[in-house]
Amino acid sequence: MVRSNLGQDSFRFDSTGLGLVTRAIERERGDFGTRIELKRTRRVAAQHLLIRPRAAVKRSAASLVVIVSSMKLALLLFLVLVSNFLPSSLAAPSSSGDGYTITGRVKVEGMTSKGFGVSSKLLNAKIILNGGQSVTFVRADGYFTFHNVPAGTHLIEVAALGYFFSPVRVDISARFPGKIQAALTENRKALHELILEPLREEQYYEIREPFSIMSFLKSPMGLMMGFMLLVIFVMPKLVENMDPEEIRRAQEEMRTNFLPRSS
Amino acid sequence: MAIRACLGLMILLFSSTISTALFEDQVGLSDWHQKYIGKVKHAIFHTQKTGRKRVVVSTEENVLASLDLRTGNIFWRHVLGKIDCIDQVDIALGKYVVTLSSGGSILRAWNLPDGQMIWESILQVSAPSKSLLHALANMNVGKDNLILVFGGSLIHALSSTDGQIVWRKELSTNSLEIQQVFQPRDSDIFYALGFIDSSEFVAYYVNYKNGEVLQQSKASFKSGFCGEASLSSNDVVVALDASRTYLVSISFRNGVITFQQTYIPDLIPEFSGKATLLPSKYNGILAVDIASSIVLLRVKGVNELEIIEKINYPSAISDALPFSKEQQAFAILQHDESRIHIKVKFDTDLTNEVLKETIQLDGQRGNVEKVFINNYIRTDRTHGFRVLVVMEDHSLLLVQQGEIVWTREDGLASIVDSTTSELPVEKEGVSVAEVEHSLFEWLKGHFLKLKGTLMLASPDEVAAIQAIRLKSFEKNQMTRDHNGFRKLIIVLTRAGKILALHTGDGRVVWSVLLPVLRESETCGNPFVLNVYQWQVPHHRAMHENPSVLVIGRCGHNFDAPGIFSIVDAYTGKVHNSLVLEHSVRHVMPLPLTDSTEQHLHIVIDDNLHAHLYPKTSDAVKIFLDEMPNVFWYSVEVGKNIIKGYSLEIKGELDMAENVFQPKELWSIVFPSESETIALTATRKMNEIVHTQAKIVADQDVMYKYISKNILFVATVAPKASGEIGSATPEEAWLYAYLIDTVSGRILHRVSHQGAQGPIHAVVSENWVVYHYFNLRAHRHEMSVIEIYDQSREDNKDVWKLVLGKHNLTAPISSYSKPDVTVKSQSYFFIHSVKSMAVTATAKGITSKQLLIGTIGDQVLALDKRFLDPRRSANPTQSEKEEGIIPLTDSLPIVPQSYVTHALQVEGLRGIVTTPAKLESTTLVFSYGVDLFFTRIAPSRTYDSLTEDFSYALLLLTIVALVAALLVTWALSERKELREKWR
Repeated sequence: MVRSNLGQDSFRFDSTGLGLVTRAIERERGDFGTRIELKRTRRVAAQHLLIRPRAAVKRSAASLVVIVSSMKLALLLFLVLVSNFLPSSLAAPSSSGDGYTITGRVKVEGMTSKGFGVSSKLLNAKIILNGGQSVTFVRADGYFTFHNVPAGTHLIEVAALGYFFSPVRVDISARFPGKIQAALTENRKALHELILEPLREEQYYEIREPFSIMSFLKSPMGLMMGFMLLVIFVMPKLVENMDPEEIRRAQEEMRTNFLPRSS
Repeated sequence: MAIRACLGLMILLFSSTISTALFEDQVGLSDWHQKYIGKVKHAIFHTQKTGRKRVVVSTEENVLASLDLRTGNIFWRHVLGKIDCIDQVDIALGKYVVTLSSGGSILRAWNLPDGQMIWESILQVSAPSKSLLHALANMNVGKDNLILVFGGSLIHALSSTDGQIVWRKELSTNSLEIQQVFQPRDSDIFYALGFIDSSEFVAYYVNYKNGEVLQQSKASFKSGFCGEASLSSNDVVVALDASRTYLVSISFRNGVITFQQTYIPDLIPEFSGKATLLPSKYNGILAVDIASSIVLLRVKGVNELEIIEKINYPSAISDALPFSKEQQAFAILQHDESRIHIKVKFDTDLTNEVLKETIQLDGQRGNVEKVFINNYIRTDRTHGFRVLVVMEDHSLLLVQQGEIVWTREDGLASIVDSTTSELPVEKEGVSVAEVEHSLFEWLKGHFLKLKGTLMLASPDEVAAIQAIRLKSFEKNQMTRDHNGFRKLIIVLTRAGKILALHTGDGRVVWSVLLPVLRESETCGNPFVLNVYQWQVPHHRAMHENPSVLVIGRCGHNFDAPGIFSIVDAYTGKVHNSLVLEHSVRHVMPLPLTDSTEQHLHIVIDDNLHAHLYPKTSDAVKIFLDEMPNVFWYSVEVGKNIIKGYSLEIKGELDMAENVFQPKELWSIVFPSESETIALTATRKMNEIVHTQAKIVADQDVMYKYISKNILFVATVAPKASGEIGSATPEEAWLYAYLIDTVSGRILHRVSHQGAQGPIHAVVSENWVVYHYFNLRAHRHEMSVIEIYDQSREDNKDVWKLVLGKHNLTAPISSYSKPDVTVKSQSYFFIHSVKSMAVTATAKGITSKQLLIGTIGDQVLALDKRFLDPRRSANPTQSEKEEGIIPLTDSLPIVPQSYVTHALQVEGLRGIVTTPAKLESTTLVFSYGVDLFFTRIAPSRTYDSLTEDFSYALLLLTIVALVAALLVTWALSERKELREKWR
């Protein structure tokens, strides 16, 4: 069993705006895909959280998380968390009207995980849900989020010039809310985390080969010259190597053939 | 055998050149790409700091862009999703652009220098309502600034550094609409003023640090409010009542609300109709739009309003620009025929102008729609002003010091339809000097090129070579060429402007803002529909110009009267323009022309009556001969019915009106509980098919069923008619129909279980290719249907041919019902598709390529051979020779076959193909927010030398050969002499 540490820290307020709760989610990989369970809860003072640099939060952030974003549910969740009682089935009670949140990350080779050193190629990368239903963009650290996605099977596509990304099939289960599966549609590879990597870089231009003698010789003009040179320099040599007797005979033959006609 | 070998070799050659790829240095030779943004809605200047001066704009095409203030070029740009409309834009912290979109539910921050998204926050919206974005400036210097978002009754306060919600407050349970927010200087509170249920005025005093409502005062107003409220001073707000004839000044000093009504005609005697408040934030000044003019009023206390200035239409007024502590500046733009007067004033002193400038405009930009003002400091330390002007044709101008610094033709971001026109024929009399000059240039160019290929050129020379190639005089000429590459693309934009673009470099040759498509009293809400070729002179091509027909409609309803306009394709001169008496539902260009070579068009109105244009007796005479052969159909998507009609004359034909009645011939009703029409597609009317026969392996012949009347209809399950993800595979299905539109015969029907839209299709020759989503495999699929005529199968019998018992000469008619066979096949395709088209060539000999506009806004050229239904896993030798590719489950995407190469046509909406005169070549024009044009050769340019062909190398080779000949001749002479001496 592979375990990966992750956890999207999401912040919720109660109605008075006083308490701040964070929850860390540990994801466990099961045989049937990715299951999200709330493993442990923490109550962190608001102060502490505010001081915490965002990057640090990010580093531990989950890559594939479903959050029920209804406020009522959040409140319920808050109560549940406070009571420190957490059966795993409560991770996301029945699907709410507002739907779920899909968070993922686009990772391109050479892009540093430190964040702001994003390759400029990803600046214009677009993440498209269900063929244009909603479009979002990649943040500096490569993360992206879709909000209010209903339960069902969805398709995520990445449009980034210069890279070839496979579309990703994302299933948000309605029966087991919070259960999510993702797989590349191109090669049916299941993804344990929603980290999208390009299958290949795309080269839109033919490479122009540098000038070489060979390519010149292969061109029609080169062949023409080559043939001429062959005829000029090699043919006499061939003639030289022939038996002089034979040449004389051939010449005579030619003469006999020629003379009657010319005369 | 030799022929077969030859054929095999040719096929080998062809199959090795599937992609017509481009070298990087060939970019721009035959293609051009133009970037646009669309009609600007909001603009925010960012000029305070030294460095690059820029303006951030959001547009009606959902584009957010940062433009260079000096040149108007785009620094960066993002195209948001279709339904993700930008409501508000602001700059926070001086380094982030903040956008509020999707009805106030998504707040995003973008890095100002490079456009990188920094954070994104989702906000709760109670009900669709106007939302306000307010970046609290200068509040906590050094610390985090807050961004306030008002949507309905909710206020969100977000941190501008990371987008976290700091606090959230619900102000009222009723439908509250916050109208104005302001913040007194140096205080912890802000005021939020709004209307509850449009009848109650409410003022909140809120602590910005935690969202606590410190004080709240309400008062109801019995006649109700309408629209916006304008804040005129720190304690007075002016609004309009529900009838829009009273100005209501509301004072809310110290929590006490008092109303004061002013009847507008008392103030402005000539007022009639309805007034609108212009959203502005001037101190003590109010701008009211009363149909004929803009009136500036000064608010002197609660009960005193005074007219300061009346600005006659057409004019526009900018928002206020904070200038100094007490002063705000604003700009007034006023039209005077083709000139625009710009006045900049301070709100403290309205009688004097700070700046008065006049600019000259060409007459094709219409009226000023929006003005944005910005100031700068001149070198002599005085203040100057620049204004950004949005015109009626959606173009964008920057005016500074009485001059237009730059213009952007952003109407081209919203092309509705396009057509092409040939250029004028070259007039005779080209001077010898010109020819000599061009010959010399040509030679010089080729020698430079040769140097380039031999890698002998210096960097300067390389640049010169590239410049010569790009600015080739030949490709930008305004005359027709032998290859048919030079044409005019005539585009119609949503603003009602027609522009002619040259295919050589994409420049605008002429542009016309059609007067009939502008808002007027006779036509309230004009709406453009299509552009067609009206007259294409062949016989008198030297003397007559071609013209195009523009069709529009007054309003969005089908019963609104139509607009009809004929425009000269070379000059943009409007020949004829009128508002029709009937509505326009369909326009059918007929393949008939009258004696002046005007194309006959039939316009079907909302009552299904057919009107013939041009309205001449000549046209009627020609049409009456052909009338029994005219059939048409209508697709009623909502009712799930397709009906076929012919035309008939009931009673006497009124020669002045030329109205024909429809006669229903057939109808196909789809069961609405299981199918809804998702898409219909037909062949292009002007498509040319070279041959009906298709030679398959072993010298066998198949006859294509080629009919111009094939209609492809795709229906989907009603449950699955939404987006991907809304239906399960079990409840989704797709039916594809091929229908003959003359007889109503369904030629073929196929079902795809578990498939759903969006569907895109192209019909060409005897095949249909359609793209849809397969829910079972969760991948996109492309299917091909090819249809063959079975009734001609037995013509292959030689004896029948000899005895003359064949039916090859029998006319093809839709009345006869030939047996057809259908071959089909489905393949996976990786991308979502935005648009699809097929290449078209002059004679139809060249093989076809599909042009697929992918979700990434690129255009992919896919050879039709990949979508051959006869592909099998192990093709036989003869099939291989024929060029059949072994079967794969998905269609390959070769990056080199993107015709847009490393470019994107943002917001791609359409791909148009036009044949060139050269058989191998197709012109491709794709449009969206951007424009892209190129020419492609689906089977390579087999009928002409490529651009790459080096004439200089050929010359050099010949010279070298001649030299070699001479040398060898001399050598042989000498040798012979020596022989003789011996």
